[in-house]
Amino acid sequence: MQQTVAPPSVEFQRLARKPESQARIVWRNFRRNRLAVAGGVVVILLYLVAIFAHVLAPQDYKAFNAGMPLKPPSAQHWFGTDRQTRDVFSRVIVGSRVSLSVGLVSASMIIIIGVTLGALAGYFGGPVDNAIMRFTDIMLAIPGFFLLLTAAALFTPGLQTTMIVIGATSWMSTARLVRGEFLRVKAQDFVLAARALGAPNLRIIVRHILPNVLAVIIVQLTLWLSFAILLESGLSFLGLGAQPPTPSWGGMLADGRVNMQKAWWETVFPGMAIFITVLSFNLVGDGLRDAFDPRQRRR
Amino acid sequence: MREAVVSVSASTRNYIVRRILLLFPLLVGLSMVVFAIIHLAPGDPALAFVSEQTFDPTIVEQVRKNLGLDKPLPVQYAIWASKVARFDFGTAYTFNRKPVIELIGERLVNTVQLQALAIALSLVVAIPLGIISARRQYSIVDNLATGGAFLGLALPDFWLALMLQLLFAVRLGWLPASTAGPEAQGLEKLSYFVLPSIVLAIPTIAIFTRFMRSSMLEVIHQDYITTARAKGLAERAVIFRHALKNALVPMVTVVGNQLPRLLSGSVIIEAVFAWPGLGQLGYQAILQRDYPVILALTLLTGAAILVINVIVDILYAVLDPRITFN
Repeated sequence: MQQTVAPPSVEFQRLARKPESQARIVWRNFRRNRLAVAGGVVVILLYLVAIFAHVLAPQDYKAFNAGMPLKPPSAQHWFGTDRQTRDVFSRVIVGSRVSLSVGLVSASMIIIIGVTLGALAGYFGGPVDNAIMRFTDIMLAIPGFFLLLTAAALFTPGLQTTMIVIGATSWMSTARLVRGEFLRVKAQDFVLAARALGAPNLRIIVRHILPNVLAVIIVQLTLWLSFAILLESGLSFLGLGAQPPTPSWGGMLADGRVNMQKAWWETVFPGMAIFITVLSFNLVGDGLRDAFDPRQRRR
Repeated sequence: MREAVVSVSASTRNYIVRRILLLFPLLVGLSMVVFAIIHLAPGDPALAFVSEQTFDPTIVEQVRKNLGLDKPLPVQYAIWASKVARFDFGTAYTFNRKPVIELIGERLVNTVQLQALAIALSLVVAIPLGIISARRQYSIVDNLATGGAFLGLALPDFWLALMLQLLFAVRLGWLPASTAGPEAQGLEKLSYFVLPSIVLAIPTIAIFTRFMRSSMLEVIHQDYITTARAKGLAERAVIFRHALKNALVPMVTVVGNQLPRLLSGSVIIEAVFAWPGLGQLGYQAILQRDYPVILALTLLTGAAILVINVIVDILYAVLDPRITFN
């Protein structure tokens, strides 16, 4: 039997085209936000500086310049020298390694703990939810920075302690947020369908729900990157973060504070570094949030 | 006939009762977590107690016995918890062995004063700024406020504190860089508050302004505001009598989130300004491993935060009758 096939209409052609991937849409939205792109460029530059810090620094960060304590910025020492005659510019560059690595490790830890607990609580509900969320409530009730300080002071201070302590004491708000998202997505039909087909719980969580929550998680990750850097610099400032001779921006501020009357450059430049880093991450995080969900764009 | 000024639905009342009852297990849980964190960490509090006086092992052993540190952890917890339940927080290991409650009492006032001033300052700046931003969306003022809020949130507060000290105390000499003793009176005393309260207010202003703006924008676009305008009310009346009231309701939660600061203080800002408050007490106690002080401070502020959260949620439910609980 012969069948006549109607020529596909223009409308049909449009619909039949391969749909744009979400990543592409997000990228297109993100690119439009000039501030966010600028922040992204700075973030990439900062990571490059951190990776190649020892090549980029004009001097060894530990090197002394005999007879030149507390010299103001000059062509030779762009950011001046500190009390121990070391080159502040080199120390700021090498200090980026501490901030960026603590940011990366702590933020990843926060996301892993927060997403796991939030997913379990939201997906299983009932007593699991209750136990996890009440524990979260309790942890949230302890003043954050205080918890951080206690933990940092009771264990041997250092880079690894700082990373772990920030990660282990900051996951609560993420867990709450992810739980809420899981509750929302769990109620949708495709999850019911997957369950009806007998998919195991782990598969439903990882393959069906998680991709729908990914946008929230990525935005959280960028914002935690900046917040972890702030927390690290605060801890280092109080002497409980990275320990000398490792230069860290917070530690440099604490050192420079002593000579603030004579040498402003010791406190101005490391602080600027923290500010620019945190600002760039925030711009990226905000841009990503808008790009993922243009409807919820901040008015 | 209405009996109460504020009437709440049965579901809201149930919710309130549930929240209050839930407080008790949470408080017990809090005390266990705090105790566990501090006692599971490596380090010997007995050494902190004898401090510089001696390292004679027999004396340390004796001190450990006297303080009850040789007993198993659950027993230690039980002893501590039963005392805490009677509001007995013991005496500090350091700080001249003062009773913990007395120590906290001395510092509490300083922290509350400073933080209350900072929060009040934030509200005074942020509420008008948020309203103007929303009323003139995308105007110069709005864009400046939005940009400023963004910068304010990225500023490390202790660095801002150092920069203000550098400018106003070191360079210009207008304001003191840190606190003097408690003897200061009147204007002199007030001058110590200026820098720390501004530093503490700036990030809060950023948060409050953004929130006030979006809350106001939401209200302005609702039908009843259009109605108020349509019936010819003056713009002032529309904004202040009709819009503001509803726009302020969500602010209760945001401001409530900041209230725990009244008690926990800011460790780092108090350190920068040598402010004799709870934050600094905590910092010193942590460095000296003064366990009774750390325990009491964390537990008391934690409990206060839990209670404040419940009060804020209840207030919110009462203020906005549209919210229902199942």
